[in-house]
Amino acid sequence: MNRRQFVAALAAGAAGAGVLRAQQQLGGMASRGVRPQPRGKPSGLPFHARFTDVAAHAGLRAPVIYGPPDRMDYILESMGCGVAFLDYDNDGWLDIFLLSGTRREGPVAGATNRLYKNNRDGTFTDVTAKAGLVRQGWAFGVTVGDYNNDGFEDLFITGWPQNILYRNNGNGTFTDVTEAAGLLHAGNRWGTGCTWVDYDRDGRLDLFVSNYLVFDFDKIPPTGKSSSCNYKGVPVNCGPRGLVPERPMLYHNNGDGTFTDVTARSGIGAVTPAYGLTAVAADLDGDGWQEIYVACDSTPSQLFHHRENGTFEEVALESGLAVNEDGREQAGMGIAIGDFDTDGSLDVLKTHFAEDTSALYRNTGHLEFDDVTLRSGLGVETRYVSWGDGIVDLDNDGLPDIFWVTGSTFPELERTHPEIPHKTPRVLFRNLGGGKFEELLDGAGPAIAEAHASRGVAFGDFDNDGDLDILIMNINEPPSLLRNDLSGAGHWLKVKLVGTRSNTSAIGAVVTVTYGGKRQAQAVMASSGYLSSSDRRLHFGLGAAATADIEIVWPNGARESLKAVRTDQLVTVKEGAGIVGQERFGR
Amino acid sequence: MKWIAAALLALAAGICLAQARQPAVQQPGADAHLSRGAQLMHDQLFDAAAGEFEKALALHPADPRAHFQYAVCLLSLGRNDEARREFEKVQKLAGESRYVTYYLGRIDLLSNDYASAIQRFRSLAENPPYPDTAFYLGVAYVSSGDGNDGTKWLERAAKLQPGDYRVHYRLARAYSSAGREQDASREYSLYNKLLNQHKSTETEVRACADALRTQPISAAAQEVCQRMFDPNDPEKLTLLGQLYGDAGAYEKALDPLTRAVQLDPNSYEAWHNLGLTYFRLQRYKEARAPLEKATALRPEAYGSVVILGATLYMLGDDEAALPVLEHAHRLNPGDAQTTAVLEKLRAEHAKK
Repeated sequence: MNRRQFVAALAAGAAGAGVLRAQQQLGGMASRGVRPQPRGKPSGLPFHARFTDVAAHAGLRAPVIYGPPDRMDYILESMGCGVAFLDYDNDGWLDIFLLSGTRREGPVAGATNRLYKNNRDGTFTDVTAKAGLVRQGWAFGVTVGDYNNDGFEDLFITGWPQNILYRNNGNGTFTDVTEAAGLLHAGNRWGTGCTWVDYDRDGRLDLFVSNYLVFDFDKIPPTGKSSSCNYKGVPVNCGPRGLVPERPMLYHNNGDGTFTDVTARSGIGAVTPAYGLTAVAADLDGDGWQEIYVACDSTPSQLFHHRENGTFEEVALESGLAVNEDGREQAGMGIAIGDFDTDGSLDVLKTHFAEDTSALYRNTGHLEFDDVTLRSGLGVETRYVSWGDGIVDLDNDGLPDIFWVTGSTFPELERTHPEIPHKTPRVLFRNLGGGKFEELLDGAGPAIAEAHASRGVAFGDFDNDGDLDILIMNINEPPSLLRNDLSGAGHWLKVKLVGTRSNTSAIGAVVTVTYGGKRQAQAVMASSGYLSSSDRRLHFGLGAAATADIEIVWPNGARESLKAVRTDQLVTVKEGAGIVGQERFGR
Repeated sequence: MKWIAAALLALAAGICLAQARQPAVQQPGADAHLSRGAQLMHDQLFDAAAGEFEKALALHPADPRAHFQYAVCLLSLGRNDEARREFEKVQKLAGESRYVTYYLGRIDLLSNDYASAIQRFRSLAENPPYPDTAFYLGVAYVSSGDGNDGTKWLERAAKLQPGDYRVHYRLARAYSSAGREQDASREYSLYNKLLNQHKSTETEVRACADALRTQPISAAAQEVCQRMFDPNDPEKLTLLGQLYGDAGAYEKALDPLTRAVQLDPNSYEAWHNLGLTYFRLQRYKEARAPLEKATALRPEAYGSVVILGATLYMLGDDEAALPVLEHAHRLNPGDAQTTAVLEKLRAEHAKK
């Protein structure tokens, strides 16, 4: 080999040195490439909740159609949808509402949103057609609330290209009143998160809708048609980065069955556009007015603080809820509100993409939040794309646990990257007290480890046995219904609120229960998890406590206290009238 | 990587002591694995890099450099407990090292052991091994609930790393928690400005790479890429030079890379890319000095060492080329071209 040959060979193979690889591997979503924290030694403490998927036995056998079965060519097909636990017929038993998608290629036989009536024996009957709810399209989010204060829960559904409002007629049927209510919007929009919220405290539920991005099947290249849409070198669906983000919307309830778009007037429309997903409303700073928090994908999340004059200011950055502790945006998907440290204030959990942690924010007062993800032990789990979540006491020990569902957005990936499967298990962290959590990889029943591509999740006690069960949306599969077969001696208390001066659903109320030296706050919400809606009856696990004190702050700011309430029962509290109903559930 | 190289050089002093106590052992394979591991680390292929370090350690279990690089790699993989054990082995083999203390502090922080993290980082306060030591000390204090000390150290970190948006965000949060709204507002503004700059760099890099991919060396691509040109930012200049170089626009790469080495004379990436560019342009005289700088900064970087050897060889300085290519061969014994040239040089050397 002569000198020139040697040099030519070297020059051909020589590589520059730099940080380009990292720069060029950025995909379409915010993922930090975070490595998990080390796992500590297992506590060895018993966990008394055991979950079994009883969906098939319960009659929930129809798959939730969402795009092609083996690929996701467009981001629209990958986002999935929410689920709801609601009592649409006021019989005291939770019914189930499941959203559905469709396929671009054409309608799929049997694909529709579905309403299942609870038969009170562990099974459900599909009453979709009877209820007038048959509809096939791209549905995303659902919020449940009685917007016309007639005592029956109504349904608002976000979707692409339009949203839908179903009024509950009170006789087992629903009517699509979207147009009559003034909620049809011009053009196509991709509505995602939605929540009923009485932002002006006039006793009527207004409506907040977050929008994801500008979507058009004909303008966005499908998987494989754009070289810039790849993840770990594999062509995948495009977005959200690179696509046009949207602004949220706010509609004021006029009290006559119609709504007025107050997006601009309220200041909501002034926010920087973002990829908005789940939206929740709760009074996070205890000032009697609800904030609205939106999990935003790959853009800073948004927190709207009410100025008490009908307008909002966006304060997520100053509150610590916009970005992670290093100041970078995350791929916000689902939101849970709960009081994990039982200090009487509402904390926040937000789920994200894979190779990132979910974020747990501790409420330190005055609308300030501290990111305690790593301190709490949640940093051990970074493997999955995470979606619907909850801060919920699953074992009734008086300490709210953390649960979320997972599933990839890129089914193509597992063919070349078997370490990144499309279907992934559920994640459960048990609360050890002292602000610490421990992931339970097993020991909480077979349903936790079962793998699905899940999205929405709702929590509720469908069998009225005094614990929390879990309803989960799985893409192109039947839903999962995780029955909680709880053992142990933990007590519990359920609180159902009925508004009189406030909206009848009492959405926006905060209930604080004091028991065994702890104070736990929970909010009555119309939306939670990922684009979903949970049991309106608040469930408090109480551990060894035999009685509990209850403080209620109603949505209009009025306060009510109830002392030494007996546990292991559902109490119904009517605004201004105290406890009007008590029901003991049996296991 | 620059920081790791600095740590390795510093550790070398300790290694000398350790080696002095042992019989001299010839381990050509270990160096090759270390070099390959370092390159894989640089390419963020941590699993593969760990494999190389394990092979190096199998050949030379008492090499603290190998334990150190392996430990850093394990930390990058999130295998923190194993990383801690490896760092502790480095301490046993090479004595106390502030670089090791720094990493053990980082692991403490990740493990929520704030007291230990504070103790370790505090011990480094006078002579910090890396610029972000103050930042992690501030974070440890804030996490432990000591907002006052946390703020103090984050303020120091902001002075040491004025361009790091993370530092300003954490400091803003600390001010906000302390009710210092005006200070918080100032830091949030800085954070926003720096983050936007960071994001626009990401966008510019992607746009330039795309433009060069579709229309290499065209005026249109150069117009897109010149948007990255910032005469005061060595990292952006290096990126721009590398993008041009990768696209074959070597002449265009020279200006940003020359500016980059002037602004940051300790940047291995800038020196390597500048030397490589001259080498590709067959301007061997001008390639020599930058490559010598690069190999001084990262003696284990096979890519730089072999190009320097070839440059010397092309300059006809065979005496100088021989030891450099011998070193390159130790770093990568599988390189057939280098082996062939080496054999030739050795034979000529023997004749003399």
